[in-house]
Amino acid sequence: MSETEEPLRAELTVEYPFTRTTGDVIGAFMTGLREKRIFGIKRQDGGVLVPPLEYDPVSSEPLTEMLEVSQSGVVDTWTWVDPPRPQSPWNVPHALALIRLDGADTSMLHAVLVDSPSDMSTGMRVTAIWEEERVGHIADLTGFVKEVEESDS
Amino acid sequence: MMSAELTAVLGVGQTKYSTTRGDVSIAGLCREAAYRALEDACLDFKEIDAVVIGKAPDFFEGVMMPELYLAEALGAVGKPILRVHTAGSVGGSTALVAASLIQSRVHEKVLTIGFEKQSESNATWALSLPQPFSVSINAGAGGYFSPIIRQYMKRSGAPELIGCMVAFKDRQHALKNPYAHLHQSELTFEEVVDSPMLWNPIRYSETCPSSDGACAMVLGNEKSGDQAENPVAWVHGTAMRSESNNFPGRDEVNPLASRECAADVFKQAGITDPLKEIDAVEIYVPFSWYEPMWLESLGFAELDQGWKMVEDGTTSLEGGQLPVNCSGGVLSSNPIGASGMIRFAEAALQVRGMAGDHQVDGAKKSFGHAYGGGAQYFAMWVVGSEKP
Repeated sequence: MSETEEPLRAELTVEYPFTRTTGDVIGAFMTGLREKRIFGIKRQDGGVLVPPLEYDPVSSEPLTEMLEVSQSGVVDTWTWVDPPRPQSPWNVPHALALIRLDGADTSMLHAVLVDSPSDMSTGMRVTAIWEEERVGHIADLTGFVKEVEESDS
Repeated sequence: MMSAELTAVLGVGQTKYSTTRGDVSIAGLCREAAYRALEDACLDFKEIDAVVIGKAPDFFEGVMMPELYLAEALGAVGKPILRVHTAGSVGGSTALVAASLIQSRVHEKVLTIGFEKQSESNATWALSLPQPFSVSINAGAGGYFSPIIRQYMKRSGAPELIGCMVAFKDRQHALKNPYAHLHQSELTFEEVVDSPMLWNPIRYSETCPSSDGACAMVLGNEKSGDQAENPVAWVHGTAMRSESNNFPGRDEVNPLASRECAADVFKQAGITDPLKEIDAVEIYVPFSWYEPMWLESLGFAELDQGWKMVEDGTTSLEGGQLPVNCSGGVLSSNPIGASGMIRFAEAALQVRGMAGDHQVDGAKKSFGHAYGGGAQYFAMWVVGSEKP
C-alpha cells in the first residue's frame, strides 16, 4: 500500500431554494420593520415578547395581542466581533448584543455599532438606526447605537 | 406475557389541502390540524400526554428539527415530543409510533401529526441530492418508479389504460372529500388519457399534486376509547417493515418488506381473506399504477390480477366490493409528510362512520397503508368499529 497516495476527495455543495410563509404574527413584525416600527406580542401572563412568537411559550395558546415597543432599550449582555466574518451584514468591528427594548420583557439579538469594546457595557442604553431602503426583513434594522441623552427641557 | 393495551383513534383533524397555504406558518398549519383532532376527540391540549410528529426530510422545507420549533404550537411544552422520519411512509410510521406509546402503556392519550408545506420548497430537488462519485440523473420520483411500473405491466399483461382508470376514479372520489386538494369536477377520462406523458408510462394526470397540509390524530387507551363522546376506531393490527432499495434478486414490483408487513398486520387482526373482510382501503398511491401493484402485494388480489379489480370497478366507491382511496388518495392530495397519516386517518374515519360523502356504508374494518423511499419503507394498520 502506497504511503503517498491521497484518499479520493470530492466537493459537495448542497443548495436548495426555500421560501417561508410567516403567518399573521411574524408577518406583522416584518411589516412593522419596513415601516420603522418594532412590534412585540403580549403573553398570557402579561409579559411582552420581542420579537413576537405565535404561541404562548407556557400555555401553548395562540397569541394575538400585538403592541409596538420603544426603539430604545438596554443592553443585557454583549460580545465583540473583530474582524467581522465575510458573511456578516456588518463589515466593521461591532458588538452583538441582547437588547431589551423599553416595553419588552425579552431581549433581542442585534448589532451595536460603536467604535470599540470600551464603548460597550451591560446596562448601557441604545437606540435603533434604520436602513433607507426597507423591505420587511430584520436587516431593515441597521443596528443600534448609543442613545444620546436628551437634555431636560 | 401481558397483552398490549387496546388503542383507539379518538379524533381526526385535517386541513384543506392546497397548493399554497400562504396565510399560515408551518406552526399555524400544524396547529389547525391538531386543534381539529382535539375538537373531534372532545379533548384539549392539557389532556394530552405526549406528541409524536412526522414529516419528510428536513431539507424539504429547510427547517432543521422542526419538532423543537413546533413544541409550543402543538401544546408540547413540558411534555415528551418525538419526531419520526421514514421518508414518504412517515405519516404512517408516525401514527404507529404514537400507537405504540399507548399499546405499551407509557401514555394514555397521544397527539400525532404529519405535515408538509411543499410550497416552501422543491421536493424534486430535495429528492435528487447529488452524491460524490455517483452520477445524478435528477429523475425525481416518477423517473424512479416508471421502469418498475413498466415491469409490472409486462409481468401482469395489464392493459395500457389501467393507470388512467385509477387516476380518474380517485379524482372522482376526491369530489366527495372537502379536504382533497384536487377538485376537478369537469375532468373526463379522455383528458386523463390525453394528458402529457411525463415518464412513460406515467402521464401528468396519473401523478400526485404538490400540496400544503397537515393531518393529526388523537390516540387513546381502552378507557379513553370507552369514554369518548364520538365513535372511535379500534386498532386491530400495526406493522412496519423496511428493506434496502437495491440488492440482488430484489422484487421491486412486489417488495418482500411489503408482503411481510401485510402478512403481519392481517395476522394480528385475525384476517385471512382481506378482500372479503376489509370494507374500505386507503393505500399510498402517488402514481396511478401503484393501486393494482399494491392490491396484489397486500393480498387483496392474486398476483398479476390486481388490474382487473380496477377494470371491473371493484375499487370504486360507486358500488365496488373493495372501495380504494375513497378520500381521493395521494393522487388528489399530497402533503408528503402528512400523506401516510391521511391514509391512516381516513381508514379510521371510515370505521367511525364519519367519512361524510365518501363514507363506505357500514364499514366495520378498514386498512391504512403508507410506503416511502424507493418502495422500501412500509407502515400499515387495520382499524375496526368494534374492539379486537
